[in-house]
Amino acid sequence: MSIKVRVVERKGRTFLEQLYLVEVVKGMTVTLGHFFRNLLDNSRLYVRHYPEVKPEISPRWRGRHRLTRHEDGSVKCVACFMCQTNCPSNCIMIEAGERFDGRSEKMPVKFDIDLLECIYCGYCVEACPMDAIRMDTGIFSVTSNSRESLLIGLEQLMETPGGFSEVDYHKGGG
Amino acid sequence: MSALDILIILLRVAFGAFVPLSFVAVLVWMERRGAAFFQDRAGPNRCNVYGIRAGGLIQNLADGIKLIFKEDIVPGHIQHKLYFILAPMLVFITALLCFAVIPFADVLVLGDREYVMQAVPMDVGILWFLAVVGFGVYGIILAGWSSHNKYGVLGGLRAAAQVISYEIPMGLSLVSLLAVYGTVDLSAIAQYQGQLLFGFIPAWGFVLQPLGVIIFIVAAFAETNRTPFDLAEGESEIVAGYHVEYSSMKFALFFMGEYVAMFVSSALIVTLYFGSYQIPWLSTETLVAHARPVVILLMIGLPVIAYFFAGWIKKNNRTHYYRADDPRSRETAIYVSLLWSLVVVLEVILLIYLIFAAGGAADRILVLLLQIGSFLIKTFLMCFVYVWVRWTLPRFRYDQLQKIGWEKMLPLALLNIFITGAIIVSFS
Amino acid sequence: MAEMVKLFVNGQEVEVESGKNLIDALKVVGIEIPHFCYHPALGADGNCRMCLVGIEDGRPPIVPACKTPVQAGMKVLLDAEHIKKIQHDVLEFELINHPIDCPVCDQAGECSLQDYYMKYSLDDSRMRVDQVAKAKRMDFGCGVVHDQERCVLCARCVRFTRQITKTGELGIVNRTDAARVTIFPGRPLNNRYALNIVDLCPVGAMTSQDFRFRQRVWFLKKDASICHGCSRGCNIYIDHHREKYKDDIIYRFRPRTNLLVNGYFICDAGRLSYKEENENRQVTSLIEGRQAPFDETIAAIRQKLDQARKPLILISPDCSLEQMWAVRRVSTLYGASLSGFSDAYVKAGDGDDFLINDDKAANRRGLELLGIKTDRKSFIEALQKTDLFVNFNNDLHFSGVDEEIDALLGTVQSIAVCSHQRDVFKTASIILPIASYSEYGGTIINQDYVLQAFAKAVVKNEAGKDMLEVTRLLGGAVIDARHAWPGIRKSVACLADVDPAAIPAEGIKLQTGEDANVGA
Repeated sequence: MSIKVRVVERKGRTFLEQLYLVEVVKGMTVTLGHFFRNLLDNSRLYVRHYPEVKPEISPRWRGRHRLTRHEDGSVKCVACFMCQTNCPSNCIMIEAGERFDGRSEKMPVKFDIDLLECIYCGYCVEACPMDAIRMDTGIFSVTSNSRESLLIGLEQLMETPGGFSEVDYHKGGG
Repeated sequence: MSALDILIILLRVAFGAFVPLSFVAVLVWMERRGAAFFQDRAGPNRCNVYGIRAGGLIQNLADGIKLIFKEDIVPGHIQHKLYFILAPMLVFITALLCFAVIPFADVLVLGDREYVMQAVPMDVGILWFLAVVGFGVYGIILAGWSSHNKYGVLGGLRAAAQVISYEIPMGLSLVSLLAVYGTVDLSAIAQYQGQLLFGFIPAWGFVLQPLGVIIFIVAAFAETNRTPFDLAEGESEIVAGYHVEYSSMKFALFFMGEYVAMFVSSALIVTLYFGSYQIPWLSTETLVAHARPVVILLMIGLPVIAYFFAGWIKKNNRTHYYRADDPRSRETAIYVSLLWSLVVVLEVILLIYLIFAAGGAADRILVLLLQIGSFLIKTFLMCFVYVWVRWTLPRFRYDQLQKIGWEKMLPLALLNIFITGAIIVSFS
Repeated sequence: MAEMVKLFVNGQEVEVESGKNLIDALKVVGIEIPHFCYHPALGADGNCRMCLVGIEDGRPPIVPACKTPVQAGMKVLLDAEHIKKIQHDVLEFELINHPIDCPVCDQAGECSLQDYYMKYSLDDSRMRVDQVAKAKRMDFGCGVVHDQERCVLCARCVRFTRQITKTGELGIVNRTDAARVTIFPGRPLNNRYALNIVDLCPVGAMTSQDFRFRQRVWFLKKDASICHGCSRGCNIYIDHHREKYKDDIIYRFRPRTNLLVNGYFICDAGRLSYKEENENRQVTSLIEGRQAPFDETIAAIRQKLDQARKPLILISPDCSLEQMWAVRRVSTLYGASLSGFSDAYVKAGDGDDFLINDDKAANRRGLELLGIKTDRKSFIEALQKTDLFVNFNNDLHFSGVDEEIDALLGTVQSIAVCSHQRDVFKTASIILPIASYSEYGGTIINQDYVLQAFAKAVVKNEAGKDMLEVTRLLGGAVIDARHAWPGIRKSVACLADVDPAAIPAEGIKLQTGEDANVGA
């Protein structure tokens, strides 16, 4: 049994190709075609007009975090610190306190996420035993004028609604 | 010296100094929007003043403001601050000085006096250009060396080696061209190209020197450090090359210097090979003799061009997604009305000319303006070729660059001299 | 040295100390036998059945390891199938009514049940009936919070109150799945060692109100140290952690076993004294009430000391031996009189016969061995004569204001080199912050002449300098703790052949004769 040998023809060895100029002109014809097509009708550009036209986000997209709530509006989080423990960039900072609503003994009194440190890996969501932290807000643009405002707290995390329906979220997108 | 003399001199110098500068803005805009269109993108189109974007030109204004207000950093490790500051100035000033000898219109004859339409009327012409352009690379080498940065030094070295390699074929291709023209004075060269070859072909340089034009253009690309010869600032290997340590306006000077150099070498290519300011088949004397029909043709042509231009604006200057009360249609309305009012103003001026001023000095000035227009349009198109090449061709590898320079271009240029010499000798 | 015997564990021969039970003996050679109820301080109870091991050819063939002393030639089976099944089944039994609320349980991370489950069981529950609900978050008093659902009924807590504190507040009531640990109605825990129950509890049934929910234990950095709360010198672990963007703070003290000093426990007061290390700290240098850079403050102190006619230096009895030595050297350098007067640190009648001492000074024996006078009379005499009083962290108001001394202090200019903000330092014209004992390393000698070494644990953001560094900057010759030892060895007879780098974990019992106390 012999090894199959396929001889690949090396391109660019003919005289015309070695001359460069012919190939250069060929290439330039192609780009010029694109140029005039776009110049004469710029609706044919392959672009999304971003800030105004937002891309469609899949439910599996890991956007900005949020903390989910029970039906009565109380926070699902029990401050178990699993997310903080798992976080590879150490961007989650929790302070726990006593909880008296009967759902659990423990709840977060402070839950800070430093969005500048976050790498959006989603490990916190994976780690959460309560489905309390999710990254399904669909917020993909996290920008601000000050560093401080990107350290978001419990209030902000709880206020943000999910970007998708429960069914879509659990299906994980199409 | 009469007041007219002084006025003409002032106008010439102003043209020589400000046209390249204003072209920098146009070229940067052309580069960015052009690059975008070559790559099926939109390019910078968001900057606006009260909704007026001027097709993205306002972006240049924003960039300029940014560069002026950026912190001007002189890194602490730099030992020769003078050279460090001198380098960008050198690059910019030499680029600008080259333009001084390029004629932008035929000699203006007013009464019994003749005015050469060059910023500096010198008959050394092409020699001046070679000297000053060669000096410009010192700025780059100096910048690389005084940056005291390995990338900077590598960039400077590459620039030096590249310029040496490509100035030789450039000079040799010019030798054969000068043998054809028989002069180094650029005005004379421009006038030479107003003739017709065999009575029907304009005697432009690229017809007389088909091989020389290719060698010269390639060498000119290398001289201006443009792609595919921009190894001196090859960002993938040496970050930004010689200007890696520069910021703010010092960087802006390098940046503007590059575009001025591009404009100037386009102007030179046009002057040497593409008939300079000459309008094909219409030499200066023919134009002066037939000023009236030309004007009438212009008056008919202007509205037609404006009609199509307005149509293009209306088609493209709109928002391509749903937007209530699209502000860009208001913008379009402004552009179109501006365009038509410009046409009306021009038509009125031309009409006044036809009725009152036809003949004599006015014809000469009309021809001057037409030739300046022709020169600028040609140069603009040549600049477009620069942009076009940049966004089509990848950068050469360093060994390829040197190989092409020494092993291909140099023998070809020598061959060109030989052929040209043989033809000239056999015909004379 | 106890006699060694050879026995076989899983067919492999090991050599262990005789006279111990299997759990303790095999632990020394690194073999772990799972157990809940056994604790070396409380003895074997044998109620949890987790430590059952097989004895090959033995009668009976399965015995509780906690109750079985080692014997030569014994063939112990730990990984036999039937032993594994026992461990597995005991765990399943314990977990029938366990709420498995590990996410909110403080014990998670140091919980025997959790660890054993991960190691020996890893099965899902087979129970299909509702779990028995019991009381949660019961306040047992003394800062102990009880969760009956998590309890595995090992009775360690009950035995602790009966055997160790002899107060007997806790008991187990009812039987089967209704059994629970509880207090007698209206009679909560009331003893000064109650928080040891939290450490003893193998699961999360007993939690400390003080530490509850404050931090997860796996974040904590556990450094060995010595409690400076009294002259017992109990061995502790300092559990501290630096949260992101915050300071390194101590979350709790836990006892560290040292049979020579404190056994397995510490008192509640010492345990809670970690708060002292976090709070009320002096962090800024002050000259006449104005914030000043450290260097400038040091220079000012030097200048004052140079100008003073007869300075008096008072040193705290909490300082390490090296610090005392360095301060003594500085006092001779400036011709100052040196005192270790610290009667305020003695709270008569506060001590008991277990761990708590009357004397709250950690290193009074060090003062004694270095020959630094501590008596009131000489201190007052020196204070009357002096024109500059330099206080090295000695809290003269430890047990209240001493009016005679305060009146004298009011007449002299004073400088305070202190780790905490205290009343007594407020009158000082210059205040220099220094590190407290969790932030430096050194050696101290407890009341029973046990020399113990401790190391730096906490690194603060605004770290005060070690007192040794301050004395060095004041012109002292002692560069660091090691550098102090040649001098200490020379001047203190009983320390003559001590190598500070080689002090064992349990410390060295110093041999002190009559002459050894005199010093240089």
